Amino acid sequence: MNSILDPALLDPALQALRTQLEAAAAAFAGDSAHLGALLRAMLEDVQRATAEPVEVFPVKHHSPASALHMLRRLRARAPKVIYMEGCEDLNASLAGLHHCRFPVALQAFAPEAPAFPADWTPLNVVLPLTEFSAEYQAIAYCLQNPGTKLVFVDRSVDHVFQWMPKGGPPPGEDSGEADDGGEETEPAETAGEGEGEGASTGNTGNLHGGAVGLQIGDMQPTFGDFLDVLLRNAKVRHYSEWWTQYVEGPTLACDYGTYRQVFFLIGSLLRRIGITEKDRVADCERERYMWTRIREHMKAHKIDPREAMYVCGAIHAVSPIAEFGSKGATWTVPAKTPTQWFYGVVPSSYAAIERQFTLPAGEISIAQSMWDKGLQALELKPFKIEAEKKAEGEGKPTVRKKAAPAASAPAAPVEVPPAVSGAGLREFLTRPPTFVTADDEQLMRWCIEIVRLARKHGYNASTADTIAILHTSTLLARLRDRPHPSPYDFQDAAVTCLEKDRVPGRRDVRRLCQILLGGDRLGRVGYESLPPLAQDVYDRLAVLGINLKSSRIERALLDIQGRPELLPASDLLWRLRYLGAGVRPIMGERTLGHKPKQESWDIEIGKHQGSLIQLGYEGLTIEQVLEKRLKAKAFEATSRAAKALEAAEDSVLYLRSGRLTRELGLRATELLRAELGGNDAPEIFQRVRGLVHYYRTLGMPDWIKDFVSTGYRHYATLLPTAFTDRGTAPRQLAAMLAFIFTQEALAFSMGCERSQLLIAVAQAEPEDPPKIALRWAAQWILGQRSEDEIRADFQHLLSSSMLLPAFPEYMAGFLLALEFTPRISRLAVEFLSRAFAALPDEVLVPWLPKLVVTLRPLGPGVMQTLVKEAGLAFPRDLAKLPAWEFSWDRSVPVAPPPAPKARSEAKPTAKATVAAPAVERSPAELAVATLLRAEPATLDALAGLLGVPTTWAALAPAGEASAATSEAEAVASESLEVAEASVADTPLAQLLAAHPEALQALAARLQALA
Amino acid sequence: MAKKIATPATTDSVPAPAPATSETKLRMPAEEKYAAELAYLAGVDKDPRPFLWRLSPRMIRTFILGAGPGDSFDRPIAQKFFGDASLVERAIVTLASDRGLLLIGDPGTGKSWLAELLAAATSGNSTHVVQGTAGTTEDHIKYSWNVAMVIASGQSRESMIPSPIMTAMQRGETGRFEELTRCGSDVQDALISILSEKYITIPELRGDEGVVYAKPGFNMIATANSRDRGVNELSTALKRRFNFVTIPIVTNKKSEKEIVLFRTRELMARHTIDVDVPPTMLDILLQTFADLREATANTTSEDQRLESSLSTAEQIGVLEDALLHSNFFGDKALQPGTLARSLVGTLVRRVPEDVSILNKFWHAPAAETDGVKKRKKGEEAAVAAPAKGEKSPEWQAFVAGGKQALSSFK
Repeated sequence: MNSILDPALLDPALQALRTQLEAAAAAFAGDSAHLGALLRAMLEDVQRATAEPVEVFPVKHHSPASALHMLRRLRARAPKVIYMEGCEDLNASLAGLHHCRFPVALQAFAPEAPAFPADWTPLNVVLPLTEFSAEYQAIAYCLQNPGTKLVFVDRSVDHVFQWMPKGGPPPGEDSGEADDGGEETEPAETAGEGEGEGASTGNTGNLHGGAVGLQIGDMQPTFGDFLDVLLRNAKVRHYSEWWTQYVEGPTLACDYGTYRQVFFLIGSLLRRIGITEKDRVADCERERYMWTRIREHMKAHKIDPREAMYVCGAIHAVSPIAEFGSKGATWTVPAKTPTQWFYGVVPSSYAAIERQFTLPAGEISIAQSMWDKGLQALELKPFKIEAEKKAEGEGKPTVRKKAAPAASAPAAPVEVPPAVSGAGLREFLTRPPTFVTADDEQLMRWCIEIVRLARKHGYNASTADTIAILHTSTLLARLRDRPHPSPYDFQDAAVTCLEKDRVPGRRDVRRLCQILLGGDRLGRVGYESLPPLAQDVYDRLAVLGINLKSSRIERALLDIQGRPELLPASDLLWRLRYLGAGVRPIMGERTLGHKPKQESWDIEIGKHQGSLIQLGYEGLTIEQVLEKRLKAKAFEATSRAAKALEAAEDSVLYLRSGRLTRELGLRATELLRAELGGNDAPEIFQRVRGLVHYYRTLGMPDWIKDFVSTGYRHYATLLPTAFTDRGTAPRQLAAMLAFIFTQEALAFSMGCERSQLLIAVAQAEPEDPPKIALRWAAQWILGQRSEDEIRADFQHLLSSSMLLPAFPEYMAGFLLALEFTPRISRLAVEFLSRAFAALPDEVLVPWLPKLVVTLRPLGPGVMQTLVKEAGLAFPRDLAKLPAWEFSWDRSVPVAPPPAPKARSEAKPTAKATVAAPAVERSPAELAVATLLRAEPATLDALAGLLGVPTTWAALAPAGEASAATSEAEAVASESLEVAEASVADTPLAQLLAAHPEALQALAARLQALA
Repeated sequence: MAKKIATPATTDSVPAPAPATSETKLRMPAEEKYAAELAYLAGVDKDPRPFLWRLSPRMIRTFILGAGPGDSFDRPIAQKFFGDASLVERAIVTLASDRGLLLIGDPGTGKSWLAELLAAATSGNSTHVVQGTAGTTEDHIKYSWNVAMVIASGQSRESMIPSPIMTAMQRGETGRFEELTRCGSDVQDALISILSEKYITIPELRGDEGVVYAKPGFNMIATANSRDRGVNELSTALKRRFNFVTIPIVTNKKSEKEIVLFRTRELMARHTIDVDVPPTMLDILLQTFADLREATANTTSEDQRLESSLSTAEQIGVLEDALLHSNFFGDKALQPGTLARSLVGTLVRRVPEDVSILNKFWHAPAAETDGVKKRKKGEEAAVAAPAKGEKSPEWQAFVAGGKQALSSFK
């Protein structure tokens, strides 16, 4: 092992540094004791971490310097095992990293977690990996070299959630709190913002959704005041800018020993004053966990501490806990909850990482450019995770090739003599920071590129701007104490020189700079690493012939009529849409009974791979997941009949599984039976109407019949309460009545009886005007109330000044009845016309908007009949206006006379005014009439005897008698549904009613005789 | 102009003509007000200075943004402009470059103040100002003639009246153009040649006399109001010659508080009044403005918005007015009622509209917005039983004062 790890040899150099620091503290600080103590403690931390026999490798997340040193370190000499900060159970998902395009994230997912608060589920953790991070290099190395084992040692995903404060908001949503040293949660509220900003570029910022993010080597200061002082004194804006300038750049090129010590030193600084107490406690907990796991592993596999490497954030490397080190105190790992976790790999993106960990935008791409530059400068070839097949063939040779020169000429950075190493830190701290060498060419390229990009996006930029940007960025760098402009300076300069008072295109200069510096990069998980569900989707959508891997929106056109084989793909797309997995229909619909002909879809599966993978945790096929979801929706404890019915409808639409639909439908019936009010009645009515309509052509399944008959009985039972209960709105009541009246035929076929309804309506004693009017309408349908009576009721309202203001309410209720009986539209038009004529303005005017609101939800069908009726009631042209009057004013309209008395009264006037239409007699009637005319002798004789003149009306046109007949017939046919009419329906009675003269004459004669 | 060249090196000689004090001038320009600071900074400045600048860019930054303990200066350098540091850096750098600086932002965000500070720090003279109005002509930008002298002795350099900008060119100092977008486009375009060629030709004169060249160090700071955008749109050619720096409205409570206190103290110093704003009063003021801004942001129609931009400058105006009022007519201490009256007086500009907006704001029901919670508590206390309002008494008086002031508008 390295000799720098020997504590005895380290002391002199560090001792000298310490003395120097103490002197400095005494010279500059007023209270030198505190500062001195801090500096001393920091140096002790460095020494302790360096002395640890397990080689501690401090890293920072997404730091090219860390990655380069890791690369060089591994090339020089391989450790036997690499312990890494990172949830121990994520080891399981490492295998999926082959076949991926980075950045991707390791994911742990638990759809259900009874052990945690209900609003936390589903639990979701992501650990994003980029190619230029130390952890990636180590993982890649271990995947290629089976001789080195990689072990994640941090607390399990389960513990991540266990250690979160229980009372708080769901993880992944709280913004302010960084719960854990290794994670920062993102505010869910900003999701919309991000979308708006970069929608055009296909923004991938919210790729991780509400997942809790973890990262290896988190080194963000969480203590606000510390950060403020640091930024102010360094004249930088963000912490990452500070890091890049003062740590990343200088350590890129320094030797390994110094790199480690510098990282230890900064880790110690942050740990001691840079983070909040809460984070410090959480960090300690995690370090205990990690060291316990490391010791367990070393013991179990008999590994010499000197052959192990421990990769962790610099903050954890200088932990003061007693459990630190290979000989530290023992600690018992807390138990896990029984939560079942699924592991996988999901795609990630630079923007998503930046958003998850609240890094400034563009940060990761800047890091990537540094990494590329570093690789070039040091002439190194990075480790890459490659597909397994390739790893067999080429991966090994390349490694061996790389390893060979390293072995022959031992790399200087690793084999540093101890004294030099300690002095390395001292020298590093005392000399002015060596910055990355100026790269004028790169800056020039940027300046030219940004002007070109800006011009492309509508800016008025020219070569003069290129020069100005170059000039300005140099000046800015000088102002900010930098020998060479950093990307941040360049960005500021470009904004200063190019951005005018308004942004001409969709992107401003700042955004363009980010694009220039690398922009966002979206990761992709390879087909082979996908869960079976996702693979299945890819296979089945292959028929569409589009590039499913593209991260852009792909348009798919499905001509299903021409190519019926596309129908299954269309089905699948609809299912995916229902589950929310990155597809969007542009044209085409899926409604009950609709046969698709052509559809067109926007498919973004490449971009939303993550959601597809997440579905993969729930089942093996999309159908299975969909069935699960629908069942969960219908069968959960709080489900309602309307929801279950919706699920049933969805199952018809998307799954075409009679079994599932039946199961859901029966569940809906069951729920309906248990329902107490009519709250969902409108929705249930609409759905049932649609379903019954759909099944009418296919044959009714038993469950829908069952549902309808249950509904009929259930709602009939509820009616009396619903009429009186103020909690039931008139609309809901109308929907209940609509259900009953429109589904009556089907319900009767299932053994329901109308008498139940008759009793229920008779029991109803509503008090609210709309409900009273609804009852009138219901009674009218049931034949319990005549049109005249209703008319009289409304007339009464209009005639009494006390009742006048309530008229609109009655009318509102009455109009609701249009939904189930369009036949009242004539009455409705009449009453509305009367109301407009009679109501005073103070009642009428405020009512009009409400009237519109009442009529609107009734739908186009109802409005059509209403308008038609109104058209009949009003004059057609201007000439007719002077002589025109309402039809109901001209005549007392034809009353459907349930009682014969009323009919006889009504008749004379009817005779006088109504033009008699052609008589149509039933065949039986016609036969009798013809017979009588053919053999008139009997009747003639009878008439003669009675002293009545014998006149025979012609058969086809009508005299008075036949006019009356037609009236009676019309009434009879109209009231066919009306139960009461049945008495008058026997042919003989009709005949007698049609020819009353004979009987009347007979009666008169008999009277005279008497 | 030759005389002037020597002067910049010894900064102490600038205020030499008359030791300017607040006795002789109502408002001193920045270079006189902070003469001591500027002199000190010039003394310790070791960095190279571009052109004939008084200070190096880094020191200008320190001058404007203030010095922290890390800068190890012997005297405190107060922060004079509160805002994003990178914004100030960009402005300084622009001045050192070939382009003019255009500060753009809502009214009251401190554009002119920053311009003045920059001019004072770079050239020690912030008074070369042209105020843009609809009546500004090209003569105001270039030069005009003293007619009597022209008649007497003909056209010569002596009979010419240089504009402030021409003076700045001649001396290699910073010229300022306030409210650039207020003057007509053709007038604005007179700046194009000044900014690119850096000289002004005088066709009336011949030979060397006919051209006035800018000395190194000359640059322009223009300010423009983003609310008037489109009144007189800048031409593309002129836009190209300016670097735009947008100054945002301060919405950070903490820094806003600092600004209000800083400026009010300064203003009150003229009257030798010690500013003693109770923290609760300041909170009330800031909260009310924050609520008003929120209310404004949530309305869509222009009629529902106050005409005022609700900037920090407005707050300073309100506070200054209230302090003066209470000092001269009241009992010295600032009363909530006075503050409310000043607020109404400052914000009501259009009589029916603004009054009704404020009226609605002051009578807003408690449930309307959460952001207005604090004020609401006070109001409820005024109407019903005092609830849990810790600040009740002040809020109550404040709200009552506001309503009273509104009622006087009829």
